[in-house]
Amino acid sequence: MNNIKHCYTFLLAMLVLMPFLSARSQTHEIDLSGQWGFQTDVMDFRRGSLSPRYNHKLQETIQLPGITDDYQIGYKVPYRYIDRLTRKYEYMGPAWYQRDIEIPAAWKGKQIFIYFERTHWLSSIYVDTKEVSKIDYISVPHNHDLSAFVKPGKTHRITVCIDNRFQYNTHKWDHAHTEFTQINWNGILGEMKLVAVDPVYIEDLQVYPNINEKSIRVKMEIINRTGKQISGDAGFKVAGKNYNLSKVLRVSGKDSVIHFEGTIPLGKQIKLWDEFNPNVYDITCQLNTSTDQAKYQHEKSVSFGMREVKQGKNHVMINNRPVHLRGNVENAVFPKTGHAPVDDAEWERIMLLMKAYGLNHLRFHSWCPPDAAFRMADRYGIYFEVEMPMWGRDAEPDEARYNFFRREMSAILKAYGNHPSFVLYCNGNEITGNFDFIEQLTASGRAMDERHLFCGSTARTRVKSDQFYVSQQTNKGPVKVYEGLPYTNWDVSKQSDVDVPVISHESGQRAIYPNFEEIKKYSKSPVEPRNFEVFREQLEKNGMLDQANDFFWASGALTVVEYKAVIEALLRSSKSAGFQLLSLNDFPGQGYASVGILDPFWDSKGLVTPAKWREFCAPTVALLRYEKSAYFNDETFSADAELYNFSASGLKNAKIKWWLSDASGKVLKRGNLPAQSLGTGDVFPLGKFSFDLKGHHQAEKLSVHVAVNDSIQNSWNIWVYPRNQQIMESTNEVWYTRVYDEQTKQKLAAGARVVFCPIPDQVKGRKSIFHNHFWNPIMFAWPPMTIGCLIHDKEPVFNNFVTANHTDWQWWDILNYAKVIELKDAPGDLRPFIQVIDANDNNEKLGIGFEAKVGKGKLLVLAVDTQKDIDKRPATRQLLKSIDAYVKGNQFDPKIEVDPDFINSFINR
Amino acid sequence: MLKQFFKNILKISWLITALVSLSGFVLAQEIVLDKQADLEQVYLKSNESVGLLPMNDLDMEFGYVLYESEIQVDQANSVLELEHVRDYAVVFVDEQLQGTLTDGRKKVSLKVTPGKYKLKLYVENIGRITYGPEILDNSRGLFGSVSLNAGEIENWTITPLHIKGLDVAGLKFNARRESSVPGFLHGNFHIDHPKDGYLDISGWGMGEVWINGKYIGAFWEEEKQQSIQVSADLLQKGQNEITVFELKNSGQKTMKITDQPVFK
Repeated sequence: MNNIKHCYTFLLAMLVLMPFLSARSQTHEIDLSGQWGFQTDVMDFRRGSLSPRYNHKLQETIQLPGITDDYQIGYKVPYRYIDRLTRKYEYMGPAWYQRDIEIPAAWKGKQIFIYFERTHWLSSIYVDTKEVSKIDYISVPHNHDLSAFVKPGKTHRITVCIDNRFQYNTHKWDHAHTEFTQINWNGILGEMKLVAVDPVYIEDLQVYPNINEKSIRVKMEIINRTGKQISGDAGFKVAGKNYNLSKVLRVSGKDSVIHFEGTIPLGKQIKLWDEFNPNVYDITCQLNTSTDQAKYQHEKSVSFGMREVKQGKNHVMINNRPVHLRGNVENAVFPKTGHAPVDDAEWERIMLLMKAYGLNHLRFHSWCPPDAAFRMADRYGIYFEVEMPMWGRDAEPDEARYNFFRREMSAILKAYGNHPSFVLYCNGNEITGNFDFIEQLTASGRAMDERHLFCGSTARTRVKSDQFYVSQQTNKGPVKVYEGLPYTNWDVSKQSDVDVPVISHESGQRAIYPNFEEIKKYSKSPVEPRNFEVFREQLEKNGMLDQANDFFWASGALTVVEYKAVIEALLRSSKSAGFQLLSLNDFPGQGYASVGILDPFWDSKGLVTPAKWREFCAPTVALLRYEKSAYFNDETFSADAELYNFSASGLKNAKIKWWLSDASGKVLKRGNLPAQSLGTGDVFPLGKFSFDLKGHHQAEKLSVHVAVNDSIQNSWNIWVYPRNQQIMESTNEVWYTRVYDEQTKQKLAAGARVVFCPIPDQVKGRKSIFHNHFWNPIMFAWPPMTIGCLIHDKEPVFNNFVTANHTDWQWWDILNYAKVIELKDAPGDLRPFIQVIDANDNNEKLGIGFEAKVGKGKLLVLAVDTQKDIDKRPATRQLLKSIDAYVKGNQFDPKIEVDPDFINSFINR
Repeated sequence: MLKQFFKNILKISWLITALVSLSGFVLAQEIVLDKQADLEQVYLKSNESVGLLPMNDLDMEFGYVLYESEIQVDQANSVLELEHVRDYAVVFVDEQLQGTLTDGRKKVSLKVTPGKYKLKLYVENIGRITYGPEILDNSRGLFGSVSLNAGEIENWTITPLHIKGLDVAGLKFNARRESSVPGFLHGNFHIDHPKDGYLDISGWGMGEVWINGKYIGAFWEEEKQQSIQVSADLLQKGQNEITVFELKNSGQKTMKITDQPVFK
């Protein structure tokens, strides 16, 4: 009973003392989110209510965190931008945000800060009538020191000016502040708060792992505002899964900035961090110090991972193991909000998508994401390359801009340097200008922080301090892979083998016809795809609106075919450090590049499942080198199998199988390659196999599969065709011709069936190519401006030619010998059976093959060269065979009539 | 006295050599290029054209093309101006180098007296797609117009050069003589112990290099990087050979093999 009473007395005493203790020793925060006074300032001239000098109260209100777009502030855009999403309300200028804030009396003696997690990009703070602080970082939080300007116990009018105008003459495309992807927003995002700390506090805590000694070196910058000698303890706690450790180190000093360094051995239980085992630890330092008169306390926590990064011969080394970077270029594409997310949930979704699509790397192109991105990458094991807002001529001499870059780089290293996911740093994208400055920046970054590898610029002049190189080419040749080929016995290994690891820059970039269904996803966004409306209207005007979805699917399917080929070529390149795909998701600027298998919201377009994608893009992938995709049935298929293995471990006694299946999935042939134990961190030969293609008397699509231990599987389509020795033989009923001459016209007039295969050189029209357009047709308006083909595969003309409704590698020897006929003057109902998809900003009807009624005659036009190299073009021969069977049969009955002169209109004379 | 001086010099150089080898550094090995082959050996089929043809029209994704035309120079300090250069052009009038041009520097003053000459523009495209608001096409090589004192030059002979993917074993070399025009150079060098190294090309203009018949890479004086990696497996114990294509021909006689990459 007595004991209980004592307990009560003690608790009561604690309750009485608590506010006092906490006021003396703890950090305090006031959340500043919520309603703020607001005023635009498009005049940049202190409009009536805007002069803080007279302590005027702002008339309007806004909710923060948020951006002006959320409240329809600014210029209501009446236009339909073609080259990007249209921002519904544009605002660029100073904007004023205001709140009266009572500074608690208990904060007496403390250091007081106002903190904004992310703003764009100059923030100035006025306390009552006086401007007291300005910060213009774009990549890191703004933390203004108000200590000297606010008085505990008093209510102050805090007015914040956010100016999203360009503070320096940086490239308008830099993704940190571009209108092209995220918009150049005005506002305050993420955490916003007032913070009060004791006058002795930890300004910076950096953790440097030593994986050999299983220890960390801790460096702290301790601010001492007492002006006196301080001493005390830095009590460190390291915590992680099944791990806890405490260590107390002594601290003392007299200076206003005390640089503390200490080593903490972490013992055997500590685990390394990498993509497979993303073990993250938190370290908290409780700093207890005192002067002769007072005691102070401050706590700071950061997270870290036990990982070291080194420059290997050809690869980035994580914990002394080579990694191969399978990456995506991230360009601040966030149309849902108009700004990069600052919350964990959205970034967690993105990291899980990376994993789902077999990727382990993100390059942040000319921007650096907020802390939440790093936190989630730490948690899921994704390697980041981050950059400053630097692009193009940003390195041309301009001292103010140079100083901005110098500050920004240090700030990025300080703010995010502890994150294990922060593996690579590059100044920016495709920089031109003074490379002495670039070298100086890069060298100073290296000297500042050894926890990352550094690179001067992507895809431009090399500098001495480069520790890796992201480029389309090295001095040994091109390392870019933008498109596939109908054979796979090639790579870019040799060209990648230089003095530093080389990452293939912006791989892929194959355009897909826009999916107009996406328009409705933008109803709540600050931006909308008004360009899609323009494209759609044009398509409708040209009579093909009903084909919009087919164009999207057929061009999308081709992009998947291309990306499989592109990625496998880069995986076959054992001396490449990796690749950065541009991109898994669409890029809605620079003309609007719909190149992703995900839309701009990072939602799947439904073109390929993650599981199918991982067959060719994952830590372990079965690869096959073979010399062609289309075969005659008297030929032999032979191939070399390889295993790309950059997974956590090797494969012991791996069973290696191959098999051949037909379109129905039936296995036609199978075999084993010798079982072997395979390592990791390289591309390993598995062996050779071959089989003859005898017995395939009909044209067939077959699939060659390779499996390693059953769990690793990949497959490739090949096509086999009979020789078709006799093609294009005219009969009494069917007239084959390469010229549209009088005789042909007479035949048609007499009601004959005519197959007209004009010599491509004589066809007016566009060049035919297999690949869909690079990036997008607006930024790169180079010919032939086509986005793949829609094959009308259900038409009887294809009864003897195996094809889907999109092109695959069997079409290579047809499309490379063809010409695209412009059919805008053809009757609206005429639909070519080989329909070429025009650029989405032009939307004309195009085709390589079509049929029509000409008077009493029946005409089939195929603008394909039927002579050049024809012995080596099995698919073309088969197509001609299929056409022959069709025109000689009773299904050939064109419905749409064209004028005889229409044929002349596309033939050169 | 003089004898003593030389003795000291010898001592010092011996000491330096000893120190260098003790510290693990190896003195750079110099390679003398003492043979040459004319560029005509790699001319592909020429095209005659009134206006310029970009490489796209020659079905080249990247590589080298020679553009030639007759010009009449009427005055001293005549200015030659190109409308587009992708990515690099070396200007010769007859056999005299006049200068080098890029898309950022498209004018050159001709150092010739009035008269009739053969204008030769050797052009390289490195095959990259350049992003930027200023470049929206994908043309490579020369296109648009070439003018001399604002008068357009016409009637071009356009000859692709077979340099990318060339089998250099097929080139016929002669002893080297003074020459200022682009061409191939060749040298032999001896290696006792093949190991990874770097070919230091400092002082050379722009071109490509093969060692023992295998392509090792390209160089350009305007890059900060002034070396090309040479992996040990390309080298053989004993005699090795090097072949260099030099576009600008800065008259260099030697290259070096070093341990470290070279940057300026």
